[in-house]
Amino acid sequence: MNDVLAGRALTKRFGQTVALAGVDMAVRPGEAVAIMGPSGSGKSTLLHCLAGIMRPDAGEVRLEGTRIDDMGERRRSALRRTRFGFVFQFGQLLPELPADENVALPLMLGGVTRAEAVRRAREWFAPLGLGGMEARRPGELSGGQAQRAAIARALVTKPAVVFADEPTGALDQTTGHDTMRLLVEATKHNGASLIVVTHDPGVAGWCDRTVEVRDGVLLAAGARA
Amino acid sequence: MNVGLTWRLLRGGGRRGMLGTWLTLGAVAVSTALLLFAVAVDFAFAARADRGAWRNPVAAGSRPAVAVEASRHDYVRGREITVVDLAALPGRSPEPPPGLSRFPAPGEVWLSPALADLADRLPAAELAARYPKRAGVLGDEALVHPDELIVLAGRAPDAPELTATRSSDWIVGSQPVKVATLAGEPTEDAEGYQVLALIASVLMVVPLLVFGGAAARLTVARRDQRLAALRLVGATPGQVVAMTVAEAVIVAFAGALAGAVAYALAVPLLSRVRIDGGPWFVADLWPHPLVMAGAVVAVPLLTGLSAVAGLRRVVVSPLGVAKRETPPGMRWVRLLALVAVLAAVPVVSRGDSAGLIAVVIGLAFLSINLVGPWVVGLIGRITAASARRPARLLAGRRLVDDPRSAWRTVSGVALTGFVAGFLGLLSPGTLVGTQDTGHLRVSAPAGRAATVAQEARDRLRHAGVAAAVTTRKDVVVIALKDATRITGDGARREAPDGPLLRAEPAALDRARTALTGLVPGRTPTTQADDEYFGGEILGDIAVGTVVVLSVSFLVAIASAGITAASSVLDRRQTYALLRLAGTPLEVLDRARRAETLIPLAVMGGGAILVGAFCGIPFMITDPNLSGLVTLVVCVAAGFAGVVGAGALSRPLLRSVTADPAPRPD
Ligand SMILES: Nc1ncnc2c1ncn2[C@@H]1O[C@H](COP(=O)(O)OP(=O)(O)O)[C@@H](O)[C@H]1O
Ligand SMILES: [Mg+2]
Repeated sequence: MNDVLAGRALTKRFGQTVALAGVDMAVRPGEAVAIMGPSGSGKSTLLHCLAGIMRPDAGEVRLEGTRIDDMGERRRSALRRTRFGFVFQFGQLLPELPADENVALPLMLGGVTRAEAVRRAREWFAPLGLGGMEARRPGELSGGQAQRAAIARALVTKPAVVFADEPTGALDQTTGHDTMRLLVEATKHNGASLIVVTHDPGVAGWCDRTVEVRDGVLLAAGARA
Repeated sequence: MNVGLTWRLLRGGGRRGMLGTWLTLGAVAVSTALLLFAVAVDFAFAARADRGAWRNPVAAGSRPAVAVEASRHDYVRGREITVVDLAALPGRSPEPPPGLSRFPAPGEVWLSPALADLADRLPAAELAARYPKRAGVLGDEALVHPDELIVLAGRAPDAPELTATRSSDWIVGSQPVKVATLAGEPTEDAEGYQVLALIASVLMVVPLLVFGGAAARLTVARRDQRLAALRLVGATPGQVVAMTVAEAVIVAFAGALAGAVAYALAVPLLSRVRIDGGPWFVADLWPHPLVMAGAVVAVPLLTGLSAVAGLRRVVVSPLGVAKRETPPGMRWVRLLALVAVLAAVPVVSRGDSAGLIAVVIGLAFLSINLVGPWVVGLIGRITAASARRPARLLAGRRLVDDPRSAWRTVSGVALTGFVAGFLGLLSPGTLVGTQDTGHLRVSAPAGRAATVAQEARDRLRHAGVAAAVTTRKDVVVIALKDATRITGDGARREAPDGPLLRAEPAALDRARTALTGLVPGRTPTTQADDEYFGGEILGDIAVGTVVVLSVSFLVAIASAGITAASSVLDRRQTYALLRLAGTPLEVLDRARRAETLIPLAVMGGGAILVGAFCGIPFMITDPNLSGLVTLVVCVAAGFAGVVGAGALSRPLLRSVTADPAPRPD
């Protein structure tokens, strides 16, 4: 068993809606998996269950062999902070903080001193093409730049798995592709696994594997050639 | 106008959108109720002044005199009675004073309802015997307040009460004056109260305006994202403004109505607050219907204006809100405005026009409000630069980002700090008088002291009151037997007529009653009687201070709660995403607390100092312990209130971040 993260027989309902109807999904270290599927099919719910944001109604989630789905909110929250990284569609950066402090925030929450956290955060800027943007605030960055800052923030704590829910959904196609490539490359470069929800088949192409969700079940677990 | 679309927008925010709407409505209701109170206070004191005017005669001058009037004070059971002597001049038939059906005939007395009641309850020898020929009861139009004790005595124009000279001290009474009408004019006393009431109004209204403005922007802040989006899809600026303003005005109108109802319900309670010797006629605290209607119309209009101001950014640049750019820096011109006003305080205060004083205080207040955001921004910069932990850093950056919003949270308490600093120095301690009730003194006409003393002895013996009557120059001194010596504080001071005594209240009132009319136009009084008005004024200042501070606190705490809640609603998406990524809610909460407490400590403290500075020219006595205690209690209550009000939004933070998939709406 060399999966870093594995969900087994995951089900989740919201009232009458069955969002997940028994899903098995596992990710190996350093692997990038794209989740595709129509709107409302259960992609976000699957991501949230795997990331310990939401507790499934049934089934289990293991991180490096340890069950995380039955942990209390406080422990899951600590886990998300230390072992996972997140990139959302938009709005995740605090508007009042300059970009470098936004990236440094997870480190500071983990107890790293402010000076050290900011220093480490800034190391990410040039490689992600954000050189010179350290002091800008999110409102002064373009959409693509803001998402790259979000990528830096997700990776700065050296997480085991990065979760991205339509990270380029708010960007135009060219910028979206650039950003997605940066996300996949940077994640791999850091040895982290990536689970990314996307609508763009082209984007999915950069990942190792694509899975398709439809009405709460996994259709094809097609490995990429 | 797009009323239909507006309505949908109003409801479109769903449960949380409606929550913002309810908060606005509540805030407007609180402001309207308090605004009505602040305004009603002035009308109430004016009404009292008008009703009391008939007892303050104005000399006829060149007009034909029709009557002669004089007044003085008598006492019963430690309470003050106003005694008015009134006679029609020969051949004249003047209009009766307000509240009387006819002009009192010589020998008749008319009592106020409270005095008539008291006279019926006490033994006749203690009070009723002072008024042998009761002819009627004075109507409310003749009374300053419902509990007032007044006796109006009809006299012949040549009666000794209306011909003998009296003391010219206004505290003791007024000389007989020939008048052309009984309209009179408000007493200096009443005018003094009106000045104090005006100052209190200014102190209450300015924080209210700030708060009301904040409440109006709350609606807009909740919507500016959505409206910017509307603007991006091509709504014209006019449409955007019309819709938002319509929404703000509708909500504010409902809030203003609710506030008017709340004030109406509070009036019976408020009317019990005793000032100047008694409670209020409920009608006095009812603002004129025009004022009431004006408030219910003006508050929504001001809210609409405030909404327009808040929207200017959205309309000017649709991207302005969506992109959240760095706001332009606060101009240091504002600091200059404060300094200029402060410099003017000592100069202007030398004149003693009441209106001017109110204007200066209002200006000082407004300029604190101008520099507030600027200083908050500065505090934020310092906090952020020195922060080591995330909560502090977030708080500091937040203050720099939006100092106005942070200022709105603390402005109420800071402005209250100004009030507290002002009043803390101003309110003198309780007057420590002699409290002596064992000696009655009355001055006799020149050379007649011995005769008057002999008559006093006869009357007291006849009434069965044991007393020693002596004379000191023209003053007749009646020392009651059966009085106990006063020990303690006042006892160290010696009265001119021997040790301080406390008489049995009933015995004292029997003596007063027996001695009624001993010297026409003069009342035998104890030292405690002579200290009565000083004590009353100090007590009233203390009551007024508590009222103003309570109002300021209500505003401060309400605005702290509202701003805290709206700041959670405004950034709910970011907060939710931070929580998803594992940020502990405690960090966010600590940041929110620091974001309020840091500016509160600095601004509150600063405002107290500015308030104290403005209060110095008005100081009557040295600052006293009770004033300082009021100040400390004020600061403590302000902090506790704001922290408490902020804590109330914690469940809101929890609930808006609980949704695992926040969708931008
Ligand atoms: N918090 C929620 N409450 C109720 N229903 C939800 C909630 N979250 C998701 N759903 C429902 O579950 C289904 C799957 O949603 P989601 O996982 O968000 O889909 P996707 O991300 O693929 O668009 C949808 O029908 C959606 O309406
Ligand atoms: Mg989704």
